[in-house]
Amino acid sequence: MRHLLAAASVVAFATSAQGAAPAKLTDAQRAATHAMFEHVINTPTVIGRHKVPEMAQYVADQFKAAGFPEADIHVLPYHTESATTGADETAALIVRWRAEGTPKAKPIMLMGHMDVVEAKVEDSTTDPFVMTERDGYYYGRGTIDMKDGIVGVTQAMINLKAAGFKPKRDIAVLFTGDEETNGIGATKGASEWLDLLGHPEYGLNADGGGGGVNPDGSPAGFTMQSAEKTYAGYTLTVRNRGGHSSKPRKDNAIYDLMHALEKLEAYKFTPMMGPTTRAYFQGREKQEKGPLGDAMRRWLANNADTEAADFIEASESEVGLTRTRCIPTRLFAGHADNALPQLATAMINCRIFPGVDPNAIKSELERIVANPQVVVTRNDDRVASLGSPLRPDVTGAYTRAVQALHPGMPVFPEMSTGATDGRPFRVAGVPIYGTNGGWVVVPVDFRAHGKDERIPVQSLYDNVVHWQLMLRDLAGK
Amino acid sequence: MKRAILFALATCLAGAATAATDPRTVPTQLSPEWQAKTRAVFKQAIEIPSVHNRGQTQKMAELLASQFRAAGIPDADIHIMPYEALPGDNTVALIVRWRSPKATQKPMLVLGHMDVVEAKREDWKFDPFVFREEGGYFLGRGSSDMKNGDVATTMAAVKLMSQGFKPNRDIIFFYSGDEETRGVGATLGATKWRNLTEAEFGLNADGGCGGYDRQFRPIGCGISMAEKTFQTYFFTTHNPGGHSSRPRPDNAIYDLTDALEKLRTHRFQPMLNETTRGYFTERSRQEGDSALGQAMRRWLANPGDGAAADEIEANPLEVGLTRTRCVATMLEGGHADNALPQSAKATVNCRIFPGVQPKDVQAELQAMAGPKVEVTPDPNYIGEPTPASPVRPDVLKAVTAAVQHFHGKDMHVFPVMSTGASDGSFFRAKGIPVYDVDGSWGISPDDERAHGLDERIPVRAMYDDVLHWEMLYKALAG
Repeated sequence: MRHLLAAASVVAFATSAQGAAPAKLTDAQRAATHAMFEHVINTPTVIGRHKVPEMAQYVADQFKAAGFPEADIHVLPYHTESATTGADETAALIVRWRAEGTPKAKPIMLMGHMDVVEAKVEDSTTDPFVMTERDGYYYGRGTIDMKDGIVGVTQAMINLKAAGFKPKRDIAVLFTGDEETNGIGATKGASEWLDLLGHPEYGLNADGGGGGVNPDGSPAGFTMQSAEKTYAGYTLTVRNRGGHSSKPRKDNAIYDLMHALEKLEAYKFTPMMGPTTRAYFQGREKQEKGPLGDAMRRWLANNADTEAADFIEASESEVGLTRTRCIPTRLFAGHADNALPQLATAMINCRIFPGVDPNAIKSELERIVANPQVVVTRNDDRVASLGSPLRPDVTGAYTRAVQALHPGMPVFPEMSTGATDGRPFRVAGVPIYGTNGGWVVVPVDFRAHGKDERIPVQSLYDNVVHWQLMLRDLAGK
Repeated sequence: MKRAILFALATCLAGAATAATDPRTVPTQLSPEWQAKTRAVFKQAIEIPSVHNRGQTQKMAELLASQFRAAGIPDADIHIMPYEALPGDNTVALIVRWRSPKATQKPMLVLGHMDVVEAKREDWKFDPFVFREEGGYFLGRGSSDMKNGDVATTMAAVKLMSQGFKPNRDIIFFYSGDEETRGVGATLGATKWRNLTEAEFGLNADGGCGGYDRQFRPIGCGISMAEKTFQTYFFTTHNPGGHSSRPRPDNAIYDLTDALEKLRTHRFQPMLNETTRGYFTERSRQEGDSALGQAMRRWLANPGDGAAADEIEANPLEVGLTRTRCVATMLEGGHADNALPQSAKATVNCRIFPGVQPKDVQAELQAMAGPKVEVTPDPNYIGEPTPASPVRPDVLKAVTAAVQHFHGKDMHVFPVMSTGASDGSFFRAKGIPVYDVDGSWGISPDDERAHGLDERIPVRAMYDDVLHWEMLYKALAG
């Protein structure tokens, strides 16, 4: 579940000292990357299709073929299920690349997820589960969320091993199989699989971070995710006696539900600011000279300036960053076309500001719809997400890797509006940083979960190099 | 599909305050000889489980055909027509022509259906396909919908034939085999088999018009002669969608929500036709000085009085009778809990006022919903608008005379518009006016068990119905 920076900027941060130009991929490495990416995109790892174990085994086989010992590669089948997202037999993959000699520190975890959101052929221009290369892009479900990250991490480790790199601390890979739905893999990772992972000091999540370039090719910025909103689902339910549709009743379950959604559409949650978003907006306001920058400056100066926060929230680049947001994502109602509905439900997807209790949001939704006929229930039992402290070693390594590939590219800390597998680790005391190196053209390529998801061809290969740089920097010294 | 009497009248019922007799205890006027004949055929009819897919409708057709044959109708005028109703449901229709030796008028059609709705033994107190007489009732599936009408229309004809009655016009009997499911028989009857069914008008036995309340006061006899057109539309919205963590200003569900909020308060233009005018005239009399009765009188005096029509439409007894109505019945939208919806769809079921074109309703809905919503008709069923049948004085007079003969002057006869559809709609759509005029009756609401459990009909209602049809044949073809 991916958030990519949408900032449009012509003014870059002062760049750090330029290092040597990064090594490019060889033709053989490029071909291997392409082949792996095509294979995983063409594997439809949507919940209910039972394809995640197949993908986990495939990725495991890539590690084995590259010489990682079989004893350190674990395909872990598990069951995932919830009332609203369906059920599946899925799997996680854990790979431990052990340090040479005595490790200098606790392991670094590299995270990602192998599952993708549903995509329907009829809603897409080309079959979302057949990778298609066109106009400088790879198209397909999962191209940016986040099979690019799976391939980036995996191919980087394979390339480093082939180059003779020996990590000074363990690197532990955790690829889960239900991040888009129930997050059970991450919960297990943060508890019963911690031994296999070697109790990592922190995690780098390929399902976070990343950057953007403007349509004119100028840098927009990269972000490092250090906080995330809490993902929580709610259901609005309306029941009615129903009856024959030739005799419409005054009260109607569908109309009651629609009225509740109209109220939700008009509602604005109270603006909030946390340490990560403060640092983010402090960086962003330097880029923005116009009215958006003015609003950021006003809001930073006065957190009570709701009008400024509303202006920021309304911007396409900043949506979701100033407060909790809730949006209806699914509707179900009725049982026959000639019968009045007896039941109407809407799924409400909320992204809750870090630190806010999802139960408080349930009460707030009840106040918003203000109709006892509309019953609000929670779809999950998630607890409030927490931010991770900004570590100089990680921010430094990430900034160096980004700027090695994209000279002059500004880098910001970021609160992700999407939930990631990082949440249970953060709650369990393992800081998580979203540090992927992929990039897209903003905002036209923001298509995660949407129609015709795509990634620029060069971004896929840059990301492999990015992860090589990150691992050399953080595990090679 | 039987239209139940939809209104239970309040105590203000004019002229009915006198001590009422239980109509079930009044002796029938049918002779014991014809009671026995009628009972025997009715018993056989009930015990044929002519439910869809059971292949029993042929037996039902043969039972009725044998009555006509025995009464002297030549084989050449008896047609058992096989056809497929629901896929795989092979059923039949029966078409019988009782020829006039010297016809002076165009033929008259008598309509009925031989199929019944499914009934399960475990749901009923007794076997629904074993005929019973108990407590002044005949019981069994089809006893009120509508093997009673099949038997009454047939036995009345047979009885008249035995008396040497010669009609002055051909009387054509058309009994379909799938009214309760698809109406394919009626469709064929109105089109492909038209050479056998061509008639000036039709009398439908599927729909008893009369009834009494629990205090045995007559609640009137509504003759259905118009019906609304059934048409479902889909409201569909599309959106690029995206990640639900980054809400877009536009959203497929909100676009649909906006359209349905408009639909909730949208009111189509009130309309009156000859049928509903007759209906509201009678209803305003029944309602007396109540607010509803006054609104009816205001609207009848001035059909442009939209406020009066709105007041009538808002009454649960009258809903759907003053105009086209459309209501949202189903919703689906989105594809994942954590993705902005790329599409959302509402099913909107419309009952269109007779004579109004479904495409005009579509255009009105589209204009209401706005450009973000696509309004399309359900491709699986394109409704054909049916004109209201003209109020024929001869039919109204004959039915009134027959009904009041059995039930007295307090049983008022008036036209009604049905909000659902029956076999009659297929003939109306193809130019044959149809009137639902069966003489069966019951106690409302206790005897309204069509499609339901422990279906029944008062014994007297069954027997008098034979005489009722006899009177209609004589009045309209004598």
